[in-house]
Amino acid sequence: MNTSNLVNTPPLLEIRDLSLSFHQQAQVAVDRVSLNLAAGRTLGLVGASGAGKSSIARAILRLVKPDSGEILFKGKDIYRMNPHDLKATRQRIQLVFQDPSVSLSPRRTVEQTLREPLQHFAIGDADHQRQKIRGILQTVGLDQGALNRYPHQFSSGQQQRIAIARALITNPDLLIADEAVSSLDVSIQAQILQLIQMLQKDFGISILFISHDLAVIRQIADDVAVMYQGQLLEQSPADQFFSGPSHPYSKSLLSFAQGKTPSGWPDDKWYLERTRQSTGDASTCVFSGYCPDKMPVCERLEPAMHDIHHKNQHVLGPYCVKCHLYDEVKINDH
Amino acid sequence: MTTPALKVTNLSVWFENGSSRLTVVDQISFSINAGDATGLVGESGCGKTMTAMAILGLLPESGVNVRSDGIEINGRDISTLNTGQRRAVLGRDIAMIFQQPATALDPVFTMGQQISAVYRRHTGGSKQQARKSMLQALESVGFSDADDIAASYPHELSGGMRQLAMIAMATVCKPAVIIADEPTTALDNSTRALILEQLKHLRKLHRTAILFISHDLAVVRQICRDVMVMYCGRLMEKTDCQSLFAHARHPYSAGLLSCIPQISDTQPPPIKSIPGQIPAPADLPLGCHFAPRCNRAEAQCRTSIPQLDCDNGTGAACFRPL
Amino acid sequence: MIRDTWKKLKSDRYGMTGLIVVMIFAMIALLVWSGLLGQGWSDVTGNRFEGVSSKHLFGTNLLGQDILQRTLFGTATAFEVGLVVTVSSTLLGTVLGGLAGWYAHGWLDEIILWLKGVLDSIPFYLFAAAVAFALQGSPWAMHLAMIVTFWTTTARIIRGEVMRIKQREFIEAARAIGLPGLKTVFRHVLPNTVHVLLVQGTIVFVAAINTEVILSFLGLGIQDGVSWGLMLAESSQEVLAGHFGNFFAAGASLFLLLMGFNLLADALQDALDTRRALI
Repeated sequence: MNTSNLVNTPPLLEIRDLSLSFHQQAQVAVDRVSLNLAAGRTLGLVGASGAGKSSIARAILRLVKPDSGEILFKGKDIYRMNPHDLKATRQRIQLVFQDPSVSLSPRRTVEQTLREPLQHFAIGDADHQRQKIRGILQTVGLDQGALNRYPHQFSSGQQQRIAIARALITNPDLLIADEAVSSLDVSIQAQILQLIQMLQKDFGISILFISHDLAVIRQIADDVAVMYQGQLLEQSPADQFFSGPSHPYSKSLLSFAQGKTPSGWPDDKWYLERTRQSTGDASTCVFSGYCPDKMPVCERLEPAMHDIHHKNQHVLGPYCVKCHLYDEVKINDH
Repeated sequence: MTTPALKVTNLSVWFENGSSRLTVVDQISFSINAGDATGLVGESGCGKTMTAMAILGLLPESGVNVRSDGIEINGRDISTLNTGQRRAVLGRDIAMIFQQPATALDPVFTMGQQISAVYRRHTGGSKQQARKSMLQALESVGFSDADDIAASYPHELSGGMRQLAMIAMATVCKPAVIIADEPTTALDNSTRALILEQLKHLRKLHRTAILFISHDLAVVRQICRDVMVMYCGRLMEKTDCQSLFAHARHPYSAGLLSCIPQISDTQPPPIKSIPGQIPAPADLPLGCHFAPRCNRAEAQCRTSIPQLDCDNGTGAACFRPL
Repeated sequence: MIRDTWKKLKSDRYGMTGLIVVMIFAMIALLVWSGLLGQGWSDVTGNRFEGVSSKHLFGTNLLGQDILQRTLFGTATAFEVGLVVTVSSTLLGTVLGGLAGWYAHGWLDEIILWLKGVLDSIPFYLFAAAVAFALQGSPWAMHLAMIVTFWTTTARIIRGEVMRIKQREFIEAARAIGLPGLKTVFRHVLPNTVHVLLVQGTIVFVAAINTEVILSFLGLGIQDGVSWGLMLAESSQEVLAGHFGNFFAAGASLFLLLMGFNLLADALQDALDTRRALI
């Protein structure tokens, strides 16, 4: 956990009002999301599958084209960069996928896979590259014999280490981990989380950690952002979130994660509804259909994102919630 | 002493490759009584799915060897049955729920058609009877709009609904035993809670015995009374859930528990992990399989195989339990 | 990777049989090409329709030519036709199919698909005759006709594979670092189609040889030299007179070689499947 003073540092990554939809499905995947990620910190992005988390990751890497909004990396809009700057930016942002058995190229050896980013970004000469490759293998805990082997010859934990090595070999500033430990067994998950934590400490990278598993987020995140149906509902520092989340949806998530059914939950099994259609409609709160704390205003007007002021001066990072319950400015007491 | 609903004795599964033998399930024995749920917990590759497939007789005839001293459902040994007799048993006396309902269901038939088909195959009832049972099954898993669901195709339903429909399909003949293989792993937390609730409800309603296979100890705890921990084909610990969570006796179980991330409102402790890696089936160590990674291992652990240390088949398979 | 495939192949008895058969024929072809065997295919060395003897192991044909010599030479012809057609049509099909798949639904894809459609709808033998006529009896007319029509099957398969592979995450990973499209196709996508290509290649080889047989019957086949197809064509008359030498020699050779290839192709497909554990 990082406690550096960053009150005056501009955020490393700024997402402003990002909207994204998949025209083939006529579905809004990301709905006017604004997020900040400060340097050296880990932001846990949590939500059910289909909430839009992975779409944001892909938008940051310019793998999908957003409908509107901006993404600024170190102050520069990545959608307005010239090709030269874009390439330099891509070097600084790397992605680790969920399933290493398909995110590594099956017909390339480990060495080829690790060398590719170095060659593509023209980092160092052949000798320097060889050194870096050996170094990163050691850092992620694999022996040098791995270099000539193919991905399918490794276990899933080892494969994920290779994927992490590939992501880190370019010395990025930002690492995006998209459900990077979700398909791993518990003991291997623990090892990989330890590795990620250690790497963050040693290399000082910022991490956008996407997961649906709150327990994992608890272990690794400094800040938590909650998404639901493409919208950002809450963002708060981890300690504050886990001692008492602000948004009703977050509260239910936390309850379920602790194995309890949240109180006030509606009886009809709303979570069984069929494949959802998100409308991007700004006239109601997106969660109003199922919220146990629903008020009349929730169905007439979409709530604004409210800042929560905390009397504890040492709270770092954004602290806000998109909910009518917080329409008057409240002082949070815990 | 009532007859257990499911009793497995010394089940082994292995592959033979010329001169070498790869054992993936090594002399597993356990029993589950009617109305009880037992969890089979372990990490990928430990042999839990193989165990389930072996019990059901779903492993291919060639290339895989299965041997046991008995697989009994309500006292009747099914391990000696031929394929035709086995097929009669599957679905009627014992049924399986899979991890990925999307791939386990046929996309060109409606849910109603698939569930009715299962019913008719085993009871030979009329179409009306089948439809009635099918609707009943759907209602018993919590669908208030059973007619609607019956008329839907699998791809029209969400993941959670598909899994519930699968459970309906597995229970329409009211089997004595259900084997659930990672049924909630692919689902979100909220849907998971619902599925588990339904399984608990069915267990009470039909007095079904459930073998719940999972890598997730936390989920097992919510639904099972007893639990078995498996590692590299062997049972490391067999006990009830409460005891395991309060005080695990096998070092592997304890290690596994300590790896589980916890949600706490205070700063979480540093992440713990079990050092080393799970050995491949071809490289299994002699003696206790867990010895190379265990900080309590002594010479004996590397040469002899520890057995479960209690007489009634429970306890920890360890020479130096915690 | 190759070692693993080889290990798996070795354990497949049928596959190994196929491989050995193919290798034997390949050796014969090599020896013929280097001038050590089968050189007397056109020499009239005996009387017509001599039976099997120590001088003519397979007897002689209508013109008194030694059937054994002709069979050996035919092996070389078969391999030559097979290799030329297979390599060329596979290359052409892979490149065009790969581009079509990568730029699927784009203008390039549309053009290639249109071309495929046109070529697929022309009756093959009419086309071969037309090409042969246009090239006025050039020995390559037959090869060309085959290449120009065979590439479409390979292209269709490769296009489908590329479209599938495109979705996989390691391609996304390549795109995520900004790797240009063409590099991605050749470095990451196409190598993953090798297993399909190898199997498809053996099928095309077989098809080429088969086609040559039929073309020879139509008089559109080999112009200089002899092939099994030509021998079979000759034998259709000879058999009526009760002389089976040509027929058996060519027919048996054809059968053996094609059988060998088929066994090999099946075994290769299994051996290249990385998902099957080495158990």
